[in-house]
Amino acid sequence: MKTVKIIILMATFWLTIHVSMAASLTVFAAASLTDSLKQIAADYEKTSGDKIVFNFAASGTLARQIEAGAPADIFFAADETKADALEKKGLLVNGTRKSVLGNTLVIVTPAGAPAINSPAELTNAAVQHIALGELKTVPCGTYAKACLEKLQLWPAVEGKVVPCESVRTVLAAVESGNVDAGFVYKTDAAISNKVKVAYEVPAADAPKISYPLALVKDAPQPEAAGKFIAYLESDAAAVVFKKFGFLVLSSPSTK
Amino acid sequence: MSGAEWQLVGFSLRMALASLLLILPTGLALAWWLARTNWPGKALVETLVSLPLVLPPVVTGLLLLQLFGRRGPVGSWLHNTFNCDVVFTWRAVVIALAAMSLPLFVRAARTAFEEVDVKFEQLARTLGAGEWRVFFTITLPLAKRGVLAGTLLAFARALGEFGATIMVAGNIPGRTTTLPVAIYQAVENGEDAHAWTLASVSAVIAFAAVFVSERLQRQRK
Amino acid sequence: MKDVILTASFRKKFPGGPGIVADDLHIGGGITVLFGASGSGKTTILRCLAGLETPDDGKITFSNQVWFLKNGKVFLPPRKREVGFVPQDYALFPHLTVAGNISYGLQELPANERTARVTETLRWLGLDGLEHRLPHELSGGQQQRVALARAVVRRPKLLLLDEPLAALDTPTRLRLRGELRQLLRQLGIPTILVTHDRFEALALGDDVVVLHNGKNVQQGATAEVFSRPVNLAVAEITAVETIQPGKVLQVHDGLASIVVGSTQLTALAEDLPVGVSHAYACIRAEDVVLVRADEVQSSPRNRLSATVRVLVRDGPLVRAELDCGFLLTALLTEPACLELALEEGDQVFALVKASQLHLIPFTP
Repeated sequence: MKTVKIIILMATFWLTIHVSMAASLTVFAAASLTDSLKQIAADYEKTSGDKIVFNFAASGTLARQIEAGAPADIFFAADETKADALEKKGLLVNGTRKSVLGNTLVIVTPAGAPAINSPAELTNAAVQHIALGELKTVPCGTYAKACLEKLQLWPAVEGKVVPCESVRTVLAAVESGNVDAGFVYKTDAAISNKVKVAYEVPAADAPKISYPLALVKDAPQPEAAGKFIAYLESDAAAVVFKKFGFLVLSSPSTK
Repeated sequence: MSGAEWQLVGFSLRMALASLLLILPTGLALAWWLARTNWPGKALVETLVSLPLVLPPVVTGLLLLQLFGRRGPVGSWLHNTFNCDVVFTWRAVVIALAAMSLPLFVRAARTAFEEVDVKFEQLARTLGAGEWRVFFTITLPLAKRGVLAGTLLAFARALGEFGATIMVAGNIPGRTTTLPVAIYQAVENGEDAHAWTLASVSAVIAFAAVFVSERLQRQRK
Repeated sequence: MKDVILTASFRKKFPGGPGIVADDLHIGGGITVLFGASGSGKTTILRCLAGLETPDDGKITFSNQVWFLKNGKVFLPPRKREVGFVPQDYALFPHLTVAGNISYGLQELPANERTARVTETLRWLGLDGLEHRLPHELSGGQQQRVALARAVVRRPKLLLLDEPLAALDTPTRLRLRGELRQLLRQLGIPTILVTHDRFEALALGDDVVVLHNGKNVQQGATAEVFSRPVNLAVAEITAVETIQPGKVLQVHDGLASIVVGSTQLTALAEDLPVGVSHAYACIRAEDVVLVRADEVQSSPRNRLSATVRVLVRDGPLVRAELDCGFLLTALLTEPACLELALEEGDQVFALVKASQLHLIPFTP
């Protein structure tokens, strides 16, 4: 059974990555990091000569794939628990794991839709569908649920939840207008002009959002991967992250 | 199997049956039209009807999303007139299942109608029967087997439909999660036993439906 | 012909074929036979009258109703024409019982009246007890009667029968021919009946329309048409056995003298146009009488010395090919043949009445 899963997942994975990219780094990263990492990688490729190939998806999905043996070099998730799970199974190289970024949770609504000024308004009858990341695989969804539970709104809104595969799917759902509201990161809302931020969840009401970064055990290119991880933790990368709206945690020059 | 799993199967069965309510009238009309009439543009309709069989299901799902989303032509009308949403509700499930299974039904029903000798229909007309009466008392009864086979095929296909459904109805447990979607989700979450239980139920139902359908089709004169 | 009830002039072409032409068809009440060889378009004409085919152009009128008019774009659909149609293979609905088939056209009647009519029709056609049988469980003759019952139970204004006896085996066909005539006479519905069998045409039809190459070439009372074919084609279609070309010598006192080969024959001159020099002599085999001796005085004007060349036995009949200066065919019964002790090579006398010698003029 496990073997079958491995074969299927590996076949899928290899089909989606250009075989032509022979000597390259494979980075499994959370969907919310899509735009920022692409820019950082572009800068890095110019100076280092290495090629970076990304697999962006919900952190839970990425963790499953690594567990099934997908050949990743680097794991960059939006949720510590996903990294914990991999560590417990010995799939991350000891000592390489660091918590690099933070983020802010926001409620977005479709541009042009009636405004929502507070989470409590999510219980209104006018709000029929709320997009959330799928709880078991998308950290953003778990964070959103935790926030709503803390505000004691979860029982009232649970029936309106439309689970989505990743934070970007949540964003797309809100953009299409097919849902009335959704929970994404501030960094996701920033790249879209089809949604407006209705409410920024203050740090007190939300759980701690932390992005772990680590080298994967049995990585195909461990040395090149190590270099890129260092770059990701550098000031040059921090500038880009901040530009996109992330909170940079463990950069040496953070004040 | 747990109670939740049985509920899932029950939901899938109910959705597939509901899709038949959409498929049968539309499919019978289309099948009769294609079997009995001849007009320029018929080839276009034939192609359109067969398209969901060949297009990637997600493409069909995409088209349905465009049509029935709150900003789409049909969806916006429904939302504004009846405050009725399609996307992310069970209605989207039924529509997705119907769209994907209709071609199978139309093909089987069309063949069945073509095999009914027109001489019986013509004679019925000399006996005073109007077109509706000819259809329901002569054409359909004589095409019974093929139509039934087509219905079973469509039902089985509807039960197994995944790509379009997940695009347009999402995966909301208890509200739009069908059997195939639940299996996919279980695999994603690493819940192997759960996945295999559901997959077995799915396989058994599909096997039974296709088996009976094939027997019916082979027994036609 | 009785009062004309249907007039039709239309044509219909088929891809890859010549098509049919109905040229000023007049159908009266009573039984009219559409007669012609297989493929002569009879069935197509019938189907056009029923409304199951649409002519390319022309007009069909029944009583005062226009059923079809190309120029006026009138087309009355079959269900409004009140015709009873019986196709050659009966087309009984395979999924309905005998009762279901027969009552199919009676939907507009209340249920009890419907049942009464069906029972009455079943009894009248000798189908009692077969109500619940399915068509495939019936014999050929029974199927034919059910098809007929289904067509007449609605009391149609016109009955259309396509080769009603063709699907039956020979003994059944002969037996049912008489029954059918009786049934049709009892019904009294104007009937058009298609057949290629001239004995059927003679037996069943009051009037006959002869079709040749898709076109009607002669119509009239059956006896009239068969004994006076208007041209060679009709003569051949109506299967006159002896057709011989001859020269007209003279016409005098209503009688015509004609020489066929070296034999002189006398015929009635009635339809012969003035000044005709050549004509075909047409003699039906059943109109030829054979005698052994010459002594007896007899009335037929034509008394031909003949040698029996071939005797062909066909059931109760014997066909004799005779040489009397030209080839003459005679038809007699087996007992008659035995009585005369006829054998091939015998010398006999063939007697043909002047009124049974039909002349068709031609230009050599």
